[in-house]
Amino acid sequence: MFRDCRKASFGSSFGKQPATAPFVIRKPALLFAALLVAHVPLAAQDGGKLYATYCSACHGADGKGAAAGTFPPLAASPWLKGAPDRAIQVVLHGLEGPIQVLGKNYNLAMPPQGGTLPDDQIAAILSHVRKSWGNQESAVTADQVKSIRAATAARTEAWTAEALLKLHPLPLEKTALSGLTSAFHKGQWKDLPDFKKLKPESVEEEHDGILSLSDAPAKEHFGMVWEGKFDATAAGNYAFRLDADDSARLWIDGRVVAQVRGIGPIKPQRQKIGRLKLTKGLHDFRLEYVEFTGQEGLSLAWTGPGMDVWKDLSDRPSKDAKLWPEILLTPTPQETSIYRNFIAGTTARAIGIGLSGGMHFAWSADHFAPELIWTGKFLDAGRHWTERGQGNQNPAGEAVTKLGKDFALRGKDGKALPDLRFGGYQLDQIGQPTFRVRGDGFELHDAFRAEPSGMLRRIEVTGRVPDGATLTLVDGLPLVAESDGSYRLGGKLRLAAPDARKTGDRTLILPLRSGLRSEIRYLSK
Amino acid sequence: MFHLRSSAILGALFCSAVASAAVQSDYYLREEIPLPPGEVMEIGSIALMPEQKIAVTTRRGDLWICSGAYGEDLSKVTWSKFARGLHEPFGMFWKDGSLFLTQRPEVTRIKDSDGDGKADEFETINAGWGINGDYHEYAFGTRPDKNGDIWVTLCLTGSGSAASNWRGWAMRITPKGEMIPTCSGIRSPGGMGFNAEGDVFYCDNQGLWNGSSSLKWLKPGSFQGNPTGNKYHTLAKLPAPPQPKDKSRVLTERLRFPDFVPPAVVLPHGIVGQSPTGIEPDTTGGKFGPWENQLYVGEQTHSQVQRVCLEKVNGLYQGAVFHFLEGFEAGLIPLRLDPSGILFTGGSNRGWASRGTKPFTFERVRWKGVTPFEMLTVSARKDGFVIKFTEAVDPATAGDPKSYAMKAWTYILQSSYGSPQVDASVPEVTAIEVAPDRKSVRLIVKGLVRGHVHEIAASGVRSAKAQPLFHPTTWYTLNEIPN
Repeated sequence: MFRDCRKASFGSSFGKQPATAPFVIRKPALLFAALLVAHVPLAAQDGGKLYATYCSACHGADGKGAAAGTFPPLAASPWLKGAPDRAIQVVLHGLEGPIQVLGKNYNLAMPPQGGTLPDDQIAAILSHVRKSWGNQESAVTADQVKSIRAATAARTEAWTAEALLKLHPLPLEKTALSGLTSAFHKGQWKDLPDFKKLKPESVEEEHDGILSLSDAPAKEHFGMVWEGKFDATAAGNYAFRLDADDSARLWIDGRVVAQVRGIGPIKPQRQKIGRLKLTKGLHDFRLEYVEFTGQEGLSLAWTGPGMDVWKDLSDRPSKDAKLWPEILLTPTPQETSIYRNFIAGTTARAIGIGLSGGMHFAWSADHFAPELIWTGKFLDAGRHWTERGQGNQNPAGEAVTKLGKDFALRGKDGKALPDLRFGGYQLDQIGQPTFRVRGDGFELHDAFRAEPSGMLRRIEVTGRVPDGATLTLVDGLPLVAESDGSYRLGGKLRLAAPDARKTGDRTLILPLRSGLRSEIRYLSK
Repeated sequence: MFHLRSSAILGALFCSAVASAAVQSDYYLREEIPLPPGEVMEIGSIALMPEQKIAVTTRRGDLWICSGAYGEDLSKVTWSKFARGLHEPFGMFWKDGSLFLTQRPEVTRIKDSDGDGKADEFETINAGWGINGDYHEYAFGTRPDKNGDIWVTLCLTGSGSAASNWRGWAMRITPKGEMIPTCSGIRSPGGMGFNAEGDVFYCDNQGLWNGSSSLKWLKPGSFQGNPTGNKYHTLAKLPAPPQPKDKSRVLTERLRFPDFVPPAVVLPHGIVGQSPTGIEPDTTGGKFGPWENQLYVGEQTHSQVQRVCLEKVNGLYQGAVFHFLEGFEAGLIPLRLDPSGILFTGGSNRGWASRGTKPFTFERVRWKGVTPFEMLTVSARKDGFVIKFTEAVDPATAGDPKSYAMKAWTYILQSSYGSPQVDASVPEVTAIEVAPDRKSVRLIVKGLVRGHVHEIAASGVRSAKAQPLFHPTTWYTLNEIPN
């Protein structure tokens, strides 16, 4: 690809020193002296005006978050409550990645402003923010900003919400729980025991109504049972969101509402949401919890009629397991799905193809082969089509099978063929692709068509392919031969390739020759 | 009778209101072009096609073709989906029956070969640069230059590192599909374009090694200021690009390194936007106003279009930026100016917020034939500036130094994010010459500073018709003081 770069007209004198450089010595001294004067002096900083200039595009002129709240709000945000250190840190160094504000998830990046805004301007902006839109916090002084700037001068990375909260946790507020007690039990449980038959080691009153493991007398092999009253402020539908490491079970009015069973960490797949109707008033609340060994953790949050946020009942904030809305792409007999974005388990230039037969694949334009195939659902584009679209997306379906992880076109010596280029693709009437690979003197066409129980792959070679060249079909999967001559690919899928050759237990290759036309079938049954 | 009289009074009131406070719609008509219902049209590039059709790509990877966007009645606009499954294209043009796209991983030619209205041929012309799955590794592309080459700028990984080949570089992709590394020192481009002479420019966003967003000239072989991607010179056996000193100044470093081309026009951060994007020259011959050969620069955060006039002094581009159009419905990304004088803009605020509150937009702007009273151009002299106006000025106010306020500053060139305004000074307008035709003034200024942004607020100037300037302030980047 870069064959022509060297002789390319890279026009000028990169790296050469100028013949004469009269200013080099004189000017910098002057400029560096001036650096100490720092920013353009403005007598008194107008926080509202500065906010409008630097912040309002994202956080909104009304502090509610721009674009109907697709950016985090500052109005009523707990992130601004209490000491200003947390907010000063965010402004100085920026904040990247997932963050929850008032029960809603965001996954954006706030650029650091410490290099742009001097201490007095940051103080003015934060003072404005902490006193606007119903916020009622103290003003921030330039000295407060200055001391935090000095203390974190070595920091070069933006904060993550998680790291910042470890330093400056959000203030806890009294919850909807009253008359709360916590009972501590000792025992080695891998799941919830019948606590009603057990006698606790100790019982404490929890006047703040907050579920917390921080004061538990043990770090492993224990259980807790909290009991109290949950205050439903209005009649209607309520939901409770429960995470536990390891097990937990929530009872309201003697009924199980949500439970996380067995041993495991807090992760989206283990999160449980329970829903029920409540009348206005106090309801019996009971939460059971077990920690076996290792990490411990518990989160519980609720939402009720007319609320669009989740409220925590635990000191560990509850997180929405879903970081983005689902946008499922589904092929139809009239329209094949095609998805060009970052797919997990293959290379950055992989192209996702969803066929109406129910088999899908990701064809790597870096390695020139399908590297993943799967069945069922095709792809959820929600991750990439909302906010900034960070990260790689996993296939949405089942039986995800990794067919390869390296260059598929190889020479007689087993090395990748040189000078290969991805040539693009052609789509048929319903959008099914034929990929093109261009080599030195030959072209390989790699066509995929839906079939009722899988897909057909048709390979054609035109021009002169080097002697002994091969195309890797499977690399690194156990190949079990079936009676019909096909191979079972590790798990559920099969491959039938009459012209292919098995080399070793886990590799299947197709010998290439000029004029080759070969058919390969991938079968889901 | 009564009816007539009251409307006459209203008319009089209306006229006096216009006279006292001009608004953008007196001069330019901004209209939203209806989009296909139910579709998410986060527009990343626009191409003008034959028969007054317009192609747009979306960040989700669709390509739609619009008919009727030139018509008086925009309710007649129709759309057809031409392609999908593209990888976030930020550059497109039509040539010889095909659309050419700069997608995140490659430059592609796409075509409808069987005439069914849908693209079926997707030919990869070049995929020679690295991507690794980082969302910030954007690629922006131009239309073809005089040689037919497409210029591509490659954003840094996460905008702060260079984890894939050629990140932080500008490449040329030849019609034969060769890739020519052409400039280094790039951080995070937001758009590209040519000036009227055909030189290539891009907008780089404030951040590491970039004190303020600015319009930069991609002179072949140049270094643009951010050394993060320098290491890739070894891939093509090119000489190492400059390695500027941290916490220095652009002027200091570019005098040490002649290949370091300073920003042509700094777009002062916060004042003239926060995320500059598409670039389009006005070569309409006056169909969009009297701004012949000037550049329009899109702005994502502030949902605006700025206007830039350029001049070359001692071999470097420099010039002034003016606020121009505002109030767009979302953050603007691409601009396309049709030769007939219609400016098409598209945009999105997904992931980066904007003053315009809609999630995406497609708009057009037409000139109403009435020119606002504005500074037309600003040009540097060895002892000041010459400002041309769009109409004759009132010599009393335009000739009074008190009508002008000046400030000058620059930014720190540093490895950390952005910069405050530093090294501030207050140049003084000591004398003024009003030209005999009263359409320009020459300011004699004491205290010009080489390398600084010079803000000129001409708030006291009045036109011969006693009007104030529609946009009274300009910012001139004085890379070189003419002899």
